[in-house]
Amino acid sequence: MALLEVKGLTTRVSGYTILDNLDFSVEENELRVLLGPNGAGKTTLIAMITGQFRPTAGKIHFAGQDITGWSPDAIFLAGISRKFQVPNMYETLSVYDNVMVSLQSDRKVFKYMFKGVTAAEDERIWEILDFVELAGKASDPADTLAHGERQWLEMGMLIASNPKLLLLDEPTTGMTPDGKQRTAALIQKIARNHTVLLVEHDMHLVRQIARKVTVLHQGQVLAEGALDEVVSNKTVREVYLGKGKRH
Amino acid sequence: MSAAAERLSRSRRSRATLQRGRLVPLWMLLLGAAVVAVIGGFPVVAGTDSYILLLLGKFLCYAIFALSIDLIWGFTGILSLGQAVYFGIGAYFVALSLKINYALDHPTRYGNKFPDFMEWNGLKALPHFMEPLVSTPFAVACALIVPTALAFIFGVITFKRHIYGVYCAVITLAESLILQEFIIEYQAYTGGFNGITDYSNYLGIPFLWFMLAVTIAFFLIARVLTHSRIGTVLKSIRDNDLRAQFMGYNVANYRIFVFCVSAFMSAAAGAMYAAWVGIISYLDTGPVFSVEGVIWTAVGGRATLIGPFLGAFLVKGLEFLLSGVLAAFWQLLVGLLFIFVVLVMPDGIVGSIAHWLRRHRKGTLTQLREEQDLLAHDREHDWQPAGVPRSGEESV
Repeated sequence: MALLEVKGLTTRVSGYTILDNLDFSVEENELRVLLGPNGAGKTTLIAMITGQFRPTAGKIHFAGQDITGWSPDAIFLAGISRKFQVPNMYETLSVYDNVMVSLQSDRKVFKYMFKGVTAAEDERIWEILDFVELAGKASDPADTLAHGERQWLEMGMLIASNPKLLLLDEPTTGMTPDGKQRTAALIQKIARNHTVLLVEHDMHLVRQIARKVTVLHQGQVLAEGALDEVVSNKTVREVYLGKGKRH
Repeated sequence: MSAAAERLSRSRRSRATLQRGRLVPLWMLLLGAAVVAVIGGFPVVAGTDSYILLLLGKFLCYAIFALSIDLIWGFTGILSLGQAVYFGIGAYFVALSLKINYALDHPTRYGNKFPDFMEWNGLKALPHFMEPLVSTPFAVACALIVPTALAFIFGVITFKRHIYGVYCAVITLAESLILQEFIIEYQAYTGGFNGITDYSNYLGIPFLWFMLAVTIAFFLIARVLTHSRIGTVLKSIRDNDLRAQFMGYNVANYRIFVFCVSAFMSAAAGAMYAAWVGIISYLDTGPVFSVEGVIWTAVGGRATLIGPFLGAFLVKGLEFLLSGVLAAFWQLLVGLLFIFVVLVMPDGIVGSIAHWLRRHRKGTLTQLREEQDLLAHDREHDWQPAGVPRSGEESV
């Protein structure tokens, strides 16, 4: 059984159909890349999966559970973490605190009332800071970081939450080519132990790390398969290189 | 372990503990002890007739009120322009109880043993629903529980619907106005415009020490709350509640929790205020007082615990000293002070001092050496360029 299964997902907003009877699934431990021109519905799909909006129709199943209509915090606790397109973190908190607050826990109000951080948790935080190369800036407030560092901090926060499925929405936006390379390597490392669904626009990057690729167009799956197959697909070429060329 | 790695792990440990620090650092303990000694010792030295004694007690209540606002605003990002609602309800419960008890021992001109303002408004006897207030302990319990329960209801209605920010501020402002109007309207039961006055209050050194003890207790509670992980969670909700929600935190529940704690503190401050000062009116429940509390917190320093304390004492102290000279302009000055703080010193006095200290500390040599070590370690991290195949798999 697939880890994530989306069946017949439809979203209509103000008369526009953003997702149109979409069927989509991700297997456990996959690194799947989601492609598509702007407006195809990639971010909307991620928003639906993470509970930001309720679909008009359709079902979303995760690890055997029906999570359609669940609140975002409940979906997080089920094991799905999301990285936003724009780096979203706690600006005045230090890098260390950003990761600390994201550590895996049951998030109940009274649980951590009088507690600090245990030694084991401290170790884990430093491990993650090492992984995202921010150990030198651990006590700096998050808003003093450079853009690339902010993207990586957010990814560090997601790893800290120990999810089963990571949804990465264009994590290399605004990065230098060198930054994109390093981010690609980081994502590959992350994908060793997690299931990753990656939304990307940069085709160089996609060529380097993609195995299976899904192309969305106008709210439906246009093509799915290995990158080479999909790229040579006629309809895909039309959408990307013909009328709908974006890059 | 190499020397560099040793230095690294040592500096990391110190960094990690620096993040948390001790629950009550030494400087805080010393400063607190000094302040307590001054406030507690002053009336002993200067005598109980001093007007300053009355002010000290009032300022302590104001400081607790400002602290409660700081908890929800400075730490959690909820701007409430109506915290005086909880202060006022707490105050009115205690004032009514003390007034009822006073009337029992001091009958009115017409021989009635219930509060004079009720007599003036045509009531023939103490209303039945107010009879339990004869018991002052019961009244104190109501003074603490009723506002907290109201805060809980408000929190559930507002935060569960994800109403926050400006809209929440406006709703709390409206609440405050409504309570003020309610008190004026039902003057037979509340004393209306005149408020409740002429009852025996507890002005004296023992009660001052009691209020001081309560202030210390609330300060410690606030410290424990903000110092532990839940404090960091509240700050994360303040900074980015979207991220917090998508990181698994039920933001509404956390907001309701801290809002109830804050209401409890305000209510306690109000209850003590009524007992201390001997007069309470609709002004103590209204938007003006609520906004004053916000100003004291802003001036002193949001998201600090000493800030609200300092802000209340400083602004109110200045008012005492200068309002004789600048009576007509005082309110204007307070408004200007608020604008100045928001534009120039958004972190308030204590916040700006803390900033300056942190920047000063960063410049020391040991700190610089630690930075170099950590950066060198990060650079040593070996990078595999993208496209290197995973073990056992073909490259893309």
